[in-house]
Amino acid sequence: MLWWLWLIIALVFVVVIMFIYYYNKFVLLGNRIDNSLSQIDVQLQKRADLVPNLVKTVQGYAKHERKIMQAVTDARKAFLGATDIKGKLKAGNEMQNALKSIFAIAENYPQLRANENFLQLQQELAAIEDKVAYARQFYNDSILSYNNGVKVFPGAMFASMYGMKEKEYLKIPTEAKAVPKVDFDEE
Amino acid sequence: MVEHISFQDEISKNKIKSFLLIVVIFVFFIILGALISFALDPSYFFVIMIISIIFSLSYTLISYYNSDKIALASVRAKPASRTEHRMLFNAAESMSIASGLPMPKLYVMESEQINAFASGRDPQHAVMCVTTGALKKLNKQELEGVVGHEMSHIANYDMRFMTTVAVLVGLISIIAEIFLRSLWFSGRNNSGGKDENGKLQIILILLGVFFAILAPIVANLVSLAISRKREFGADATAVKLTRYPPGLKNALIKIRDESVPEKDKKKYAKAMAPLFMSDPYKKKFTDMFSTHPPINERIKILDRM
Repeated sequence: MLWWLWLIIALVFVVVIMFIYYYNKFVLLGNRIDNSLSQIDVQLQKRADLVPNLVKTVQGYAKHERKIMQAVTDARKAFLGATDIKGKLKAGNEMQNALKSIFAIAENYPQLRANENFLQLQQELAAIEDKVAYARQFYNDSILSYNNGVKVFPGAMFASMYGMKEKEYLKIPTEAKAVPKVDFDEE
Repeated sequence: MVEHISFQDEISKNKIKSFLLIVVIFVFFIILGALISFALDPSYFFVIMIISIIFSLSYTLISYYNSDKIALASVRAKPASRTEHRMLFNAAESMSIASGLPMPKLYVMESEQINAFASGRDPQHAVMCVTTGALKKLNKQELEGVVGHEMSHIANYDMRFMTTVAVLVGLISIIAEIFLRSLWFSGRNNSGGKDENGKLQIILILLGVFFAILAPIVANLVSLAISRKREFGADATAVKLTRYPPGLKNALIKIRDESVPEKDKKKYAKAMAPLFMSDPYKKKFTDMFSTHPPINERIKILDRM
């Protein structure tokens, strides 16, 4: 007569374990998303730190390119002033575009291109751009595994109970996507 | 049209295959144990099991916790410097961001050959070592592919997995060895029995001998097969990290086409071969005893991703 009692206890036990398991899973996946977002922030911050040095170097050779210098300085200011991650990402994209035009005009100044400091900054910024791209990729990967966890049965059941909803992917600006991977450093 | 392989499929397929291979080893283990205990006195077998398990466990635990130091010391690797090996640091940082793993400790070893290996018991204690030849001959994307491949070994806990397999293989070998030696002693006591039981025991002993000789060989082959499967898995994960299959592919093509001077091959201890990203001995053909899958097959699969 006791077997059904044991069955019920076992079932309750399994359900409790599942509740704990899925709660922890969602918390872990959510933490991973937050962590990957801060990774993007770290890289953008590194880039912003290099901008003043770059502007100073370029100004020594290309005095007439005020507009572009202003654009990159403004983008940096916008980034430093941004309080939420959305604003930071937007300013980060603008900063990247402004930097691109700086490296484009550098083609017209052979002396600048020969400057040791400039070359090093260019390499470093190229590496940071790579890392920003990888950080974005990891962010979207984290969202993917979170969303899969939320959508797929039986996780979906627990997700709705815990009030977990699908999260949105980070949209990569279209012009950034079109940029091919270029080698700056063939060491 | 070539069929498109998604890397996620490739990773899960490799996981299943590796698991099946482990099951095969276990089944073999059980058959061997059962045969021995039938052939010999069961209580005798119990003692053998306990001794051999304690012995091999302590042996593997020690090597497991020191695997990274042993591996690095055996190839005389030096810590990489941030200023001198900037490309390596950038590639490793990028891959650690892409995988969400902590940055491994980076080392460089002196060798003209393009190669790399990773070690350490978990991602927190991971080390990665790249040859000077790889740093010289590979461009950024290719190096990222290679570093991504090693990062995948770290991410997949391949070190832990291969250690587990090594424990199983070692256990099988030890038990088989002890059984074969114990026959010298037990054989004398049992001589003279002419009844049915005696005949059955002789057959069982013969079967046991057969398995005891075969088991270590089979176990070794299986562990090599797992090691080859793991390489394919790491290739797939590397592509997941870089999202750029041609990088690793071109690195493998360069590895395939480079000629390695004989004196460079001697730098690697034989036991280190499975650790590396590609077979340091560059065997011309792949057989059951190869530690790595054929490089052309790896290139072909990357081509289809």
